[in-house]
Amino acid sequence: MIEPTPKRRRHFARKWHRWLGLVSALPLLWLAVSGVLLNHAQPLGLNDRMVTSPWVLRHYHQLPDGRPSGLQVGTRLIAEWGSELFLDDQPLALQGELCGAVAYQGQLVIATPERIGVFDGSDEMLLELDDLSLPATPVQGVKVLDGQLYLAAADQFYLLSEDFFSAEKSQRSFLTSPPKELASEEAARLEKALQGRRGMPLSRVILDAHSGVLFGWPGWLITDLAALGLVVLTLLGLRLFPKRKA
Amino acid sequence: MMALLLCGGGALAGPKVHQKPSDFLKASLGAIPATQAITLSARQQAQVRAILGRNYKTKSVRYWSKNGKTAFILEEIGKTEYITTGVVVRNGKVDSVKVLVYRESHGWEVARTAFTKQFRGSVLKSNGQISSAPRNIAGATLSVRALTKLARLALFLESQK
Repeated sequence: MIEPTPKRRRHFARKWHRWLGLVSALPLLWLAVSGVLLNHAQPLGLNDRMVTSPWVLRHYHQLPDGRPSGLQVGTRLIAEWGSELFLDDQPLALQGELCGAVAYQGQLVIATPERIGVFDGSDEMLLELDDLSLPATPVQGVKVLDGQLYLAAADQFYLLSEDFFSAEKSQRSFLTSPPKELASEEAARLEKALQGRRGMPLSRVILDAHSGVLFGWPGWLITDLAALGLVVLTLLGLRLFPKRKA
Repeated sequence: MMALLLCGGGALAGPKVHQKPSDFLKASLGAIPATQAITLSARQQAQVRAILGRNYKTKSVRYWSKNGKTAFILEEIGKTEYITTGVVVRNGKVDSVKVLVYRESHGWEVARTAFTKQFRGSVLKSNGQISSAPRNIAGATLSVRALTKLARLALFLESQK
């Protein structure tokens, strides 16, 4: 076997250094710039700046999945998106699948299969009822008939007392109306309102982009390859460093 | 895989139900009595804010009373998730505290009886603090604070019935 000459070894190292440097240039440049930004996140105000792009918010699970749906109660829209509930554009403390909403004695009664929330018309919850205070669960719907609040739960109908804490079985029945998918404009308005409230700090996004995890496995694979490329570039550079013999 | 474990491992943990609220009431009071509620006035809301640092999630707080005992099922956020906790108060003293549903990824140690029994016999001092504050648990500081706040809240609500 013939040993490569020093000239051939230098040629080999130079060739690989050149092409590896070209391929790694962009990821390394990004790693360098984002690293400097992260080191100075505080003075640059990157912790206070918020990213509200829908793609980023979805990545961090800040926007619910699926399409929003809702029920109209008078002029108020009660929307369901994922397992989150909204009154107009305001998020509610009550969570779950929306199965009914009515206006009752100046209050909004919003039902999910496990819980009922009573709201004063704002996003403040007056009372939350669960299986400890409801006659049965899962709740299937609520309805106001002749000024009285009725509850459909576990295939039975109940008349609820004014304070919501007692109930008696009722012979009256009613059909529950499931939430309907929101029109595109209403869905866009809800998404915009959420984006305004749920930004991710820019420093966090840069950190995850720096490590590559923001882009999933291709991201961290590229980051790993760029880091390995830098190691190889360093070794090749050291190989090229000694002066050429005359 | 390592990145997933480091960054997302905690998020994979779901809510842990230590005891169903209905079972807690049955165990503490012998049965589930009729629900009662305290509707907080503006002055009481301000006192609750002083305890929790913000309003309680509902304006009316439910409770169940039987045989001189009052049980509250209260919720407070540890770091990002609600911790559902049952607190039984008797004669102005904490009788028992039980973590019912723990949803946070860290700090579950507060659900241990060895921790919650520290609240037994605690009363609310005139400055709104609890007479015997529990020892902190490293790594569960926020959950310890949340439970302490809920014990204070239960004692305050008991005094307002």
